[in-house]
Amino acid sequence: MLKEFKEIYAYRQMIFSLVKKDLRGRYKGSVLGFMWTFVNPLLQLCVYTLVFSIIMRQDIERYYLFLFVALIPWMFFSAALTSGSISILNQKDMVKKIYFPREVMPIADTTSNFVNMLFCFIVIFAVLLFSGWGISLYACLALPVIMVVEYIICLGIALLTSALTVYFRDLQYILGIVAMAWQYVTPVMYSSERVPEELLPLWNLNPMTPVIEAYRSVLYYKTFPELNTLLSAFILGVIVLVLGIFVFNRLEKGFAEEF
Amino acid sequence: MMDSNNAIEVRNVSKHFKVYYDKGSQLKERVLFRKRNAYEDRVVLDNISFSIKKGEAVGLVGKNGCGKSTTLKLLTKIIYPNSGTIEMAGRVSSLIELGAGFHPDMSGRENIYTNAAIFGLTKKEIDARLDDIIAFSELEQFIDNPVRTYSSGMYMRLAFSVAINVNADILLIDEILAVGDANFQAKCFNKLREIKSEGTTIVIVSHSLGQIEQICDRSIWIKNGKIQMEGAPKDVHLEYLDYMNTERMEMAEKERARQEAEEQANPEKADEKEAAKKKKRYGSMDCMFTEINILDANGNLQKTFRTGEEMILDLHYECKKKVTDAVFGFGIFRSDGLWCYGTNTRIDHKDNFDIERDGSYRVDLKELMLIPAEYWVDVTIEYGEGNPVDYYKEALRFEVVSKVSDVGVLRIPHEWTLNI
Repeated sequence: MLKEFKEIYAYRQMIFSLVKKDLRGRYKGSVLGFMWTFVNPLLQLCVYTLVFSIIMRQDIERYYLFLFVALIPWMFFSAALTSGSISILNQKDMVKKIYFPREVMPIADTTSNFVNMLFCFIVIFAVLLFSGWGISLYACLALPVIMVVEYIICLGIALLTSALTVYFRDLQYILGIVAMAWQYVTPVMYSSERVPEELLPLWNLNPMTPVIEAYRSVLYYKTFPELNTLLSAFILGVIVLVLGIFVFNRLEKGFAEEF
Repeated sequence: MMDSNNAIEVRNVSKHFKVYYDKGSQLKERVLFRKRNAYEDRVVLDNISFSIKKGEAVGLVGKNGCGKSTTLKLLTKIIYPNSGTIEMAGRVSSLIELGAGFHPDMSGRENIYTNAAIFGLTKKEIDARLDDIIAFSELEQFIDNPVRTYSSGMYMRLAFSVAINVNADILLIDEILAVGDANFQAKCFNKLREIKSEGTTIVIVSHSLGQIEQICDRSIWIKNGKIQMEGAPKDVHLEYLDYMNTERMEMAEKERARQEAEEQANPEKADEKEAAKKKKRYGSMDCMFTEINILDANGNLQKTFRTGEEMILDLHYECKKKVTDAVFGFGIFRSDGLWCYGTNTRIDHKDNFDIERDGSYRVDLKELMLIPAEYWVDVTIEYGEGNPVDYYKEALRFEVVSKVSDVGVLRIPHEWTLNI
């Protein structure tokens, strides 16, 4: 195990260059290019603002902010789930031909999605400031912790799904639906107060629930998230990651023969 | 535990591949068409063991599909053995797929970084090697252009330069020395020798035995997934070539049998062939060849010979009209038309004779000293001073093989005396 970590560390330059390549190549050929990283979430916000303050009015104050601060982190998770699952498959030419620790691929993919989310947070902060909602610097101290926890969950899921998808290609399409369904069982568009009390234990098994609530608590309610929430998110994240590493290690040796 | 003098230890390694007849990787296919998931378990490597010392250069030889490339892939850790263990000491660099991971839109320089990163180098290490890599690739003027604008030779040169400058402890090479022009190849060779002298362990898979002999200390011949022989490259290669020649002879034999069967089953085609053949014959045809055979020393039909073996021309003819002062002859031509040898009964001072009835003659070539190539035989019946009766051009074809790779036309028996 230690040897593997060491090896992945030795390949950090490869991860770094893959992330760079992905972020630079993402909007390649478009006029705005890298600016799309910022324009995209901004336009989404405009749509939500229009829809939810004019057509589908909600009783939650400034619902578009309530939604937006949860949606950006959610999109990171959703991307990690869908693009992470094909991270090995997409690089099959390399996997077939050369050796490198296979973990590099899902790690690079997750990291690239993570960095993309960090850029989106610039937009979030800008919107919170300019809309007059404000930011609590004290609460924001919790942000790095929440982000790390979410990263751990996403990485675990990417490891798990990327390895399984190699053997079972349908998974990439199934996961598209799963990502959509998952969004509705996570309090992204609603507050978890709306969840029936008897379902709560089940709800809390979802590792993304505490993560999204923590983000919202920091950015929308401007309060430090409950330590309980953070801790349970962290524990669930570690469980997912360990499971991901375990499955990945079991399956990675056969990758090259599946293509 | 691994012997500390060894760079690579392969112990009892077996590798099977499942060859699916029709594989489905979708759920529907997996469930509905269970039968289709039938596969054949093909054994590629069958319990092989070998070890390679630090600083040693070893060549893997064998015919296509014998498992040598699989061995190299196992060493690279792209695939893993079904049983057995492989241990390697140190950083491994592979020249198996050059340029894998190159991004066409990025510049040569950027690609050096990504490609070297794939070999596990950190940015600092790459910075230190960058100048060497660019200098070796001879692409100084183009290094900031996108790789897609490169010619395939330039592309390979860049890839080779990266891989060879990784400073690996173990270098794995699969048929790579077809990189660039002759000068660049020579440069690669020199670089390989330099790397070797610095103590890098090298494993090469190649069909070019000459290349292996130039670099390697040892050759391992893999046959049907097993090690057939290992030792000094020259010794192993002689045995290997000998085996390959034998196999070629068997193949040629089969091909001949097949053609004959075809002709029998297809008399029209045989007639056509006959017509085509006629064009290659001229003369009065008072006397005609009816059957022409090449035999080996045991009197069996044969079309492939080793240099120095006995070859017998066995010729039958029918007589329609008396031919006085007849001369039998033959000539041997290399497939490119070079006349290698020719003689007749007059030159060899056989008594003058007339042909009055059907008959035959034989020429026993005791030692066929031709070097490996394809040859044609012309056979002739003439009268007087070279007047053709039946001059049959390219009547027969045969092939000469040899495990000695001398050059020229004939092998002239020789001995060396060295006073060094």
